[in-house]
Amino acid sequence: MNFAFTEDQVLLRNSVRGALDASCRTADVRAMMEDPQGYAEPLWGEMAKLGWLGLPFPEPYGGAGLGLVELAIVLEEMGRAAYPGPYFATVVLGGLPLLLGGSAAQKEKWLSAIASGRARLTAALQEDSLDGDSAAIATTAARAGDGFTLSGTKRFVPWAHVADAVLVPARGPEGVSLFLVDPKAAGVTLTSTRGMDLTTRWFTMGLDGVKVGADALVGPPGGAASLLEAALRRAALGASAEMLGAARRSLDMSVEYAKVREQFGQLIGSFQAIRHKCSEMLMEVENSHSAVYYAAWSLEAGAEDAAIAASICKSYVGEAARKVCGEAIQVHGGIGFTWEYDLHLFFKRAKSLEVMYGDAEHHRELIARHVTA
Amino acid sequence: MDLTYTPEDLAFRKQVRAWLEGNLPRTPLRTLDERKAWHRKLYEAGYLGMGWPKEYGGGGARPMEQAIVADEMAQVNAPAPTNGLGLGIVGPTVVVHGNEWQKKRYLQKILTAEEMWCQLYSEPNSGSDLASLRTRAEDKGDHFLVNGQKIWTSGGKVADWGLLLARTDPAVAKHKGISCFLLYLHQPGVDVRPLKQITGSSEFCEVFMTNARVEKENLIGKLGEGWGIANLTLGYERGGRSLARITSYASQYHRLVAAARKLKRNGRPLVDSPVVRQKLGRIWAELEVERYNALRVLTQLERGDHPGAGGSLTKLSYSEFEKRFNELAQEILGPYGQLTDGAPPELGLEIDTAVGEQGTWAYAFLWSRAGTIYSGSSEIQKNVIGERILGLPKEARADRAGAAR
Repeated sequence: MNFAFTEDQVLLRNSVRGALDASCRTADVRAMMEDPQGYAEPLWGEMAKLGWLGLPFPEPYGGAGLGLVELAIVLEEMGRAAYPGPYFATVVLGGLPLLLGGSAAQKEKWLSAIASGRARLTAALQEDSLDGDSAAIATTAARAGDGFTLSGTKRFVPWAHVADAVLVPARGPEGVSLFLVDPKAAGVTLTSTRGMDLTTRWFTMGLDGVKVGADALVGPPGGAASLLEAALRRAALGASAEMLGAARRSLDMSVEYAKVREQFGQLIGSFQAIRHKCSEMLMEVENSHSAVYYAAWSLEAGAEDAAIAASICKSYVGEAARKVCGEAIQVHGGIGFTWEYDLHLFFKRAKSLEVMYGDAEHHRELIARHVTA
Repeated sequence: MDLTYTPEDLAFRKQVRAWLEGNLPRTPLRTLDERKAWHRKLYEAGYLGMGWPKEYGGGGARPMEQAIVADEMAQVNAPAPTNGLGLGIVGPTVVVHGNEWQKKRYLQKILTAEEMWCQLYSEPNSGSDLASLRTRAEDKGDHFLVNGQKIWTSGGKVADWGLLLARTDPAVAKHKGISCFLLYLHQPGVDVRPLKQITGSSEFCEVFMTNARVEKENLIGKLGEGWGIANLTLGYERGGRSLARITSYASQYHRLVAAARKLKRNGRPLVDSPVVRQKLGRIWAELEVERYNALRVLTQLERGDHPGAGGSLTKLSYSEFEKRFNELAQEILGPYGQLTDGAPPELGLEIDTAVGEQGTWAYAFLWSRAGTIYSGSSEIQKNVIGERILGLPKEARADRAGAAR
């Protein structure tokens, strides 16, 4: 029993934080928020060199062969920096499902391309309905010769405008299948939708009779449900790690502010109203840390409670991070409500992730199924 | 990071489980003698004082082994050892701060429950502000003379001895004039009166001391060191039993799910209601997070680190959780949750029917109000977290300077 990071894991965190402190300051984040593409290409290249892009992939694909605990560390730091860019979309939403269920050829092609920084991926998991799983997927996959024809509408597809391939679940006669779709293929339309979190880009993806070959199929035809569940658990974990980072940054900023801001002739941190709030925020951050790294370890180790740990993590951290980031604005008062002050970057990042990859209601129902089974 | 148990830990767990299967009392323990007998049985099996030094009767075991024993006991809802404060607070205090004579004189008898202990800290006017305590201990040459009143003394009724904080120097600042003593309770100057709590039971007492006597040999540490010693023992109270506590919550949770299957609303079991399912899902997540926290604490203890102010975070989190959990249980059970003589047995709703009133949801609900008050209220924990972990400035206080009185 050892619920602590290894020396290598600590070094990894320090190195990620150092790199992001240098290249992803909030001034850089704000510049990217104004940029049509939404992220910085040089930092992407640096991330490839530092091994972050191939972090969870095996060495033959140019990866580092590390696990989900290490990936969660990187994602927590990205949340802490409000890093804008398709890292989560590429590595977690695109790469991990391919690693889990892709063919040898698909892995060879895409995982190597991700690790080297050549390819960006994403996944189109959401449709009109608010369901957090594959049950409500209405996009159709009809057999067409050796391949398939896909039709339907996907919502909230992150970073689709820069993706080289999109993982698209669609329903055929045999059930739900997962396809790799080229977003530039005939019949695909991408429409930008602007969410309040400008460090993320969302697109509506229209599929109007999009033709894909048999080699676009990830996993068995009609048998993608369990692969999608596994992918969603990892997405839930990854999103939670980012939310944890956003929450910790917001807490740090609040504590620093409470140590310098004076009112009534005293530092506001000396008032119990502020100190107790900060202590509660720390409790939520530490509880979230427990939830994130327990789930990361559990999924990586294939522990008995891995599925449920991911749901516990997402439902707990989503609410905790929203609370902490919101209370940070409260501690700061008026300045925290201004666009110029950085707190809203983290508040919005946490909020946008809270509702994705299964919101709390979705995951609490999964937990209830587990405990009443 | 590796959250699995080693083969040795698993083997030890099996061994403890087998012992409990063979030795767990078949009927509830009703008298003090029965409780002491169970305590001695646990000690003889090597399951008490496991972390204390071997030369004083302890087991020299690792924190993980201690956690496993407590956890297995919680799994089968085993009665707790009867000398809880002796084991949890007095013993560790004597181990760290006692002299050789005190260790030899007192430790073994705590382990065997030959001498029962209580803790004499809080006073009617010194709760959260413990350092303002007024009980006096005057140096009379060959002994100390003690006058004052203590309150919230758990187990005072059955205790033979008390770990006492008293003021020895009223002329210095309040934290500096306190000393720590071992007080024999069976003497004319000591009057122990049970205090009836909101549960209707009397785990706590008031203790009145009128010219009570403490021998010189029973001063722990040096004069004026009592405050530092007390903070350490409060730390023990905050750090220990972390995993077993969560296991007890989990077994109560499973009882609650069972109750939600039996109780109906609109002709359907509560457990089929999406509203109830959301609440059950949410509280299980919170419970599991407390378990993860306990594993983090255990990791620290295994490395030999004292959780320190981090213990305040853990305590704040689980004690507030316990209130929320019991509030949910009451919400689900409705009026059945309020029955102090137990729900109709044919409904099978209670936590533990074998132990009487203490196994009812009503008792658990009322008792959950204590956890955020004792051993430093949630508000005090937040002060500690704010000052000692976050490094926030201390508040302006009226009592920082000057003598105690």
